[in-house]
Amino acid sequence: MSPVVIGVIGVVVLILFFLLRMPVGFAMAFVGLLGFSYLVSPNAGLDILVRDMFYTFSSYSLSVIPMFVFMGCIASGAGMSKRLYDAGYLMLGRLRGGLAMATIAGCAGFAAICGSTNACAAAMGKVSLPEMKRYDYDDSLASGTVAAAGSLGILIPPSTIFLVYGIMTEQSIGKLFIAGVFPGLILAGLFVSAVVIVCARNPSLAPIGATASWKEKLDGVSGIGEMLVLFLLVITGLFLGWFSPTQAGGAGAAGALLIGLIRRQLTWGGFLTAVKDTLRITCMIMVIVAGATVFGHFMAVSKIPLILADWVSALPLPAMAVMAIIVFIYLVGGCFMDSLAMITLTIPIFYPAIVALGFDPIWFGVIIVLIVEMGVVTPPVGINVYVVKGIARDVPIATIFKGVLPFLIAELIMVGILMAFPKIATFLPSLTTY
Amino acid sequence: MVYEMLSKLDRFERVVDALSHWLNWIAGVAIALMLALIAVDIIGAKLFRWPVPGGIDIVGLLGVVAIGFAIARTQALRGHIEVEFFETKIPQKIRNFVDAVIYALGMLLFVLLTWKTCEYGYTLQSKGEVSMTQGIPLYPFVYGMAFCYLTVFLVLLVQCIRVVYRINK
Repeated sequence: MSPVVIGVIGVVVLILFFLLRMPVGFAMAFVGLLGFSYLVSPNAGLDILVRDMFYTFSSYSLSVIPMFVFMGCIASGAGMSKRLYDAGYLMLGRLRGGLAMATIAGCAGFAAICGSTNACAAAMGKVSLPEMKRYDYDDSLASGTVAAAGSLGILIPPSTIFLVYGIMTEQSIGKLFIAGVFPGLILAGLFVSAVVIVCARNPSLAPIGATASWKEKLDGVSGIGEMLVLFLLVITGLFLGWFSPTQAGGAGAAGALLIGLIRRQLTWGGFLTAVKDTLRITCMIMVIVAGATVFGHFMAVSKIPLILADWVSALPLPAMAVMAIIVFIYLVGGCFMDSLAMITLTIPIFYPAIVALGFDPIWFGVIIVLIVEMGVVTPPVGINVYVVKGIARDVPIATIFKGVLPFLIAELIMVGILMAFPKIATFLPSLTTY
Repeated sequence: MVYEMLSKLDRFERVVDALSHWLNWIAGVAIALMLALIAVDIIGAKLFRWPVPGGIDIVGLLGVVAIGFAIARTQALRGHIEVEFFETKIPQKIRNFVDAVIYALGMLLFVLLTWKTCEYGYTLQSKGEVSMTQGIPLYPFVYGMAFCYLTVFLVLLVQCIRVVYRINK
């Protein structure tokens, strides 16, 4: 059998293992080992497995992942999500749907210190869902808002998905992070517009809240000042080349720890929880990255990515039409597969084709993250929906999926905007050298 | 007979659980040290022009401990990402059988990893391989990884036996 046929069989077997619930990282390492062993030799396969695992875990450039995850976990343990929500609530609470808007603003703010969608949804959901319930918000609107707005966690930097994408494609982490800023803010704006439209169509979904005085508003905003400083320190440091990505993550985590200690909101127990959560999240990401590295080596010897790149670039279709097909594949795949699994499986296959078509890899990274954002709220494998369900146990899962629908439309509009105007993502990175 | 076996399995599970818990604590210390080292390195490099010597080496090796030592606990908590879609739609009996096969494949992977990582550690030890800047011997970390893989194998074994017991019940 030719290497290409073996490669295709490998992809099919991998998807089968995914569907049979084998942990994603284990499945990729296992199939990568089998495929590489078959195409080269069993000894070479075992060698590559052992070395890929060890060198992935010991890679300095990959230590950026635990540091940014740590930053988000400490920020959550230090009550930063609550302060962000409170600030949003004081500013927007008096508007119809104001609490939902405050949730989106809070998520956008928390996304600036946390790089994971489910961590963002969990942190903000714990704070905002009881408040929305207290003010008689419709369950569907409240839970849908948290699930969708939580997905901003991976678009507004820092972002675990940008980190993994950047490492896999050897793109600058700093450029990827900065590329997510404008699309993230525009998407947050689109989410707020979705709330306005939904509430205008059915005012009973979201009653008007209490009005806050200007002094209360100023107090609320001053409570989030240090988070803005922390975000600016991390992103500016990365943008201007003061910090390597790992140092930026470390500075962010140390800064979050310092803020938590000064404000006396981070207890010893809270710190230990942050450490445990960091280990669990980091471990699950890094095992997938290590597995994807083994699988990537198998794909390389199967020559599938090169052949696909040649084939795609020779297609008698405009490059944008090919991109639309790829986006569609990601959209469908994202419904059934975890975001990280989807990215680590497809990037080694599609990335050479994207480069061959002449697309900007940074722009493609932002598109991928946007599509992944949709994947985390679409049925049946919408992880954020399950996170919200874990907090709002009395709300049926179908109600949450229904509540997510207006935000999904907003995300589709955002993908369209970004495809029509790539500069939105590429403008800021074009100003950087790092 | 069955009761006796279950009692032995319970004891075995407690030992494996304690082991994975203990390794996770070591991983926790490593990640806290990693953060402290990076913070000291930034302050040293930016304010005093004196970065921590071999900081990159040490952070990388702490990464091995932080991640490698946490794999077993993450598996014990079923924390590794799985695609939960198709399997939930099939009957419980078939699901148990599929789970047992998947656990067995995972065990096979980690047995191979344990064996070959030990061999790799021995190679590094005999060649005297050290880290790039600080000359830290690499083999203890590789042996440590092999021990962690063995623990993951044991965790998977316990989970597999539990599923097989459910099938036979």
